[in-house]
Amino acid sequence: MSESSTSNVVGQLNPAERGPVAMSLKDVAVSFHGRTAVRNATFDVVKNRVTSLIGPSGSGKTTLLRALNRLHDLTPGAKVSGQILLEGTDIYRGDMTATELRSRVGMVFQRPNPFPTMSIYDNAVSGLRFNGVKKKALLDEAAESSLRAAALWDSVSTRLKVAASNLSGGEQQRLCIARALALDPEVLLMDEPTSALDPIATLRIEELMTSLKNRVTIIIVTHNMQQAARISDDCAFLLMGEDRAGELIEFDRTEKIFNNPKDSRTLDYTLGRFG
Amino acid sequence: MNSVIANAPTELGHELRAQIRRTANHTRARRVVISKIMITLSMLALLVAAVPLVFLMYQVIKNGWPVLSKDFFTTLPQTPSLITPTVTGGVSNAIIGTIALNIYAALMAVPVGVFAGIYVAENNTKFASALRIIAQTMSGAPSIMMGLFGFTLLVRDFNLGFSAIAGSFALAVLMLPVIIIATEISVRNVPQTLREAGLALGAKEHQVSLKVVLPAALSGIVTGAILAISRAVGETAPVLLTIGGGFINAWQPLHPVSALPLTVYMNAKSEWPAQRAQVWGIALVLVAFIFVLSLGARMWASRKQKVNS
Amino acid sequence: MSEPRPALLDGEKVVAEEFSATTSRSWYRYLLLAASFIFAAVSVTFVGSIVAGSFSTWTHHAGTLLTRNGWQTPNGPFGGLAMIVGTLETSLLGLAIAVMVGLGTSIAIVYFVPRRLRNIVATLVELLAAVPSIVYGLWGFLVLAPWMLSTVEPWLNSWPFAKTIFGNPSQQAGPSLLLAAIILAVMILPTFVAISREVIAAVPQDLIEASLSLGATRWQVIREVVLPTARIGLYGATFLALGRATGETVAVALVAGGVANVQFHLLYPGTTIAGWIATQFGESQGVEISALTAMGLLLMLISFGLSLISRTLVSRQRKMMAVV
Repeated sequence: MSESSTSNVVGQLNPAERGPVAMSLKDVAVSFHGRTAVRNATFDVVKNRVTSLIGPSGSGKTTLLRALNRLHDLTPGAKVSGQILLEGTDIYRGDMTATELRSRVGMVFQRPNPFPTMSIYDNAVSGLRFNGVKKKALLDEAAESSLRAAALWDSVSTRLKVAASNLSGGEQQRLCIARALALDPEVLLMDEPTSALDPIATLRIEELMTSLKNRVTIIIVTHNMQQAARISDDCAFLLMGEDRAGELIEFDRTEKIFNNPKDSRTLDYTLGRFG
Repeated sequence: MNSVIANAPTELGHELRAQIRRTANHTRARRVVISKIMITLSMLALLVAAVPLVFLMYQVIKNGWPVLSKDFFTTLPQTPSLITPTVTGGVSNAIIGTIALNIYAALMAVPVGVFAGIYVAENNTKFASALRIIAQTMSGAPSIMMGLFGFTLLVRDFNLGFSAIAGSFALAVLMLPVIIIATEISVRNVPQTLREAGLALGAKEHQVSLKVVLPAALSGIVTGAILAISRAVGETAPVLLTIGGGFINAWQPLHPVSALPLTVYMNAKSEWPAQRAQVWGIALVLVAFIFVLSLGARMWASRKQKVNS
Repeated sequence: MSEPRPALLDGEKVVAEEFSATTSRSWYRYLLLAASFIFAAVSVTFVGSIVAGSFSTWTHHAGTLLTRNGWQTPNGPFGGLAMIVGTLETSLLGLAIAVMVGLGTSIAIVYFVPRRLRNIVATLVELLAAVPSIVYGLWGFLVLAPWMLSTVEPWLNSWPFAKTIFGNPSQQAGPSLLLAAIILAVMILPTFVAISREVIAAVPQDLIEASLSLGATRWQVIREVVLPTARIGLYGATFLALGRATGETVAVALVAGGVANVQFHLLYPGTTIAGWIATQFGESQGVEISALTAMGLLLMLISFGLSLISRTLVSRQRKMMAVV
């Protein structure tokens, strides 16, 4: 068990409840031009589970998520400290390039963003094409498999060559999920994937996530507590401190976080005492 | 809904997954190398683009600066002779001519252009749309055609001969579409809420247009007008066919005049090195003037923007 | 003496106000309408006078103008083939150079120039686009031409098959079609870069993040996502640059050599439509003026067409970006 400061309680899962670990974070912090945006992130992401990052806005959840596929490499002045392991390899300092990391850790974004000039099929296999896969048979199979996994196959199988922009918002997001899944990643990062969607589309994607975790480990950022309570197995609660830096307050099984958290701030948040 | 999820296969075939992994790993090194090469090439392109342009500016300054002097601006040109090969005089005729031409052109083009631009921006009639299309089309016309037009109509048909008015007319025709388009964009960019506020306070439509919208759009309109003028100052083709040139300080509308770009054009091929050298000075003056005008207009516009919001 | 006028009653006051509002409203409205009519009249007259001025050539000598090589002053026959071919050669070659260099430049500016410098670079590009063409022509004639003659041309002439491509060195004298193409390329580059930079920068960041998150290399992101998304606007920039190149007059007049002969050896002198009009106009009369005007009309139609295509494309691209 690791504790980073006297006033925080960072929970580790009871060793008996852990399974094989997909990603492991130790003291991870992200800063921009010296100003810390999030810190103190220490927890293990267990394979084939949905781990959610919750907390009010500004608590650094998205910043932390984006460190997991090295998106901060794009931002000048960004620094990620601490250790992030993917299957035992340090993703920043280990023997892994960012390109390789991103073919193993996929991401779905807040607003659906299918590539506008590509058809549904081309969108679905775009990841494969980026990674050098050219054989049509392989592409076709991966397209069908990932579109089925995203519960989109039945509605698009007859119009695969149609432009992706013809789909509704919820369908576009599921296409983005399919796109990420086609590469068969080990981990799927989801940054508030349903916040731009209507309630019905949201529900369908939540159902999807529950079925997907058999295939891929999911880490999801959500500002919707109820969503986290519904779909996630483990939960990390982050909060912005007085110095405007977010930090991990508590990490535990979802039932514990919502019913019997160790930290009073966690309880305050889950009871809706602040937004 | 549920049946769809239940039927979804949850795994890619094992062999498939392995193949994807293998291909990805095998091709990665090559893809990264290609990426690095292409990025280097595009930086190289930036260099290739920058070098001639920087070089050009450098030469304009280097060759032009020594030529500038009080005499350059204030005396009339003289033809060098074998005994006096370095005597070229100045370019006061061209300066006076350019100033006159552009004042006349601005007087013609700016009022017409601004008001026509306001009309197009505020009306949805077919006429307004036609005007917009005409303005956009005309802005793509080659400037030599404006010169041809000025010659055909004013020099020849109206029998005014080569004159400042013919030249400024050609320049005005060149400037008009630019000003109209810039004005229309500025007026359209005035937020609707401002207009509504004016109307809500009881002002009539035309008062809103004149007293609320115009002042708000003014910075954009002025910028457009200044940019149009700075473009006209450097144009050679429209004046080439219409002003006639000359070696005295003429400025009268019906009189042939000279102009800076015209002098450059005529003297660039001169057999006298001193005259060719002088031409660099004119180029420097033109470029400096245009730069100062353009930069100034943009900075003023952005400051006004900040004050307004 | 009349007695002092009684004060207006309230009702009369209101009417008086309305009345003055109406008259001042008409005054303003008439002003706007007048300006619009003036502009419309000028534009119509513009087209009309060009058409009328060239009418006789089009009705009697259209074939000659378009297909014959050789311009006989003062009375014809006026063959415009050399100018047409020259315009195509110089503009298309200049465009090819400008687009290749310009595309790389825009990509470099948007993605690889440090953020702090970006604004300065954008302003510089806009300023360069405002440099008058006479300055480019001057530089081309006095600086580039001698350099080409002394350095580049000997090198080019040493290539195998040089004689076939470039012709006889003794006939190369500085001003040439190739030089004109190069000057055009330098001239239209800032215009092309200004627009293509804008459309490339407008590609949404999350598309870039999405493709990177799939394991794409930076070049793959640019080639497979950014450029296709900006494609329409890039075509628009290309057509705009081409339009500017075809209409360019004085720079070409200074460096192309002014020889009216169809030429496929690019190191020989040649001419373009605009350049020829500028060179010939001074001493021409009557029939020749009509022929020159006819050439001008042809050029105008080409420019109008190109500018129309360009504007349609750029506005379509902007609309698409607003939706994405």
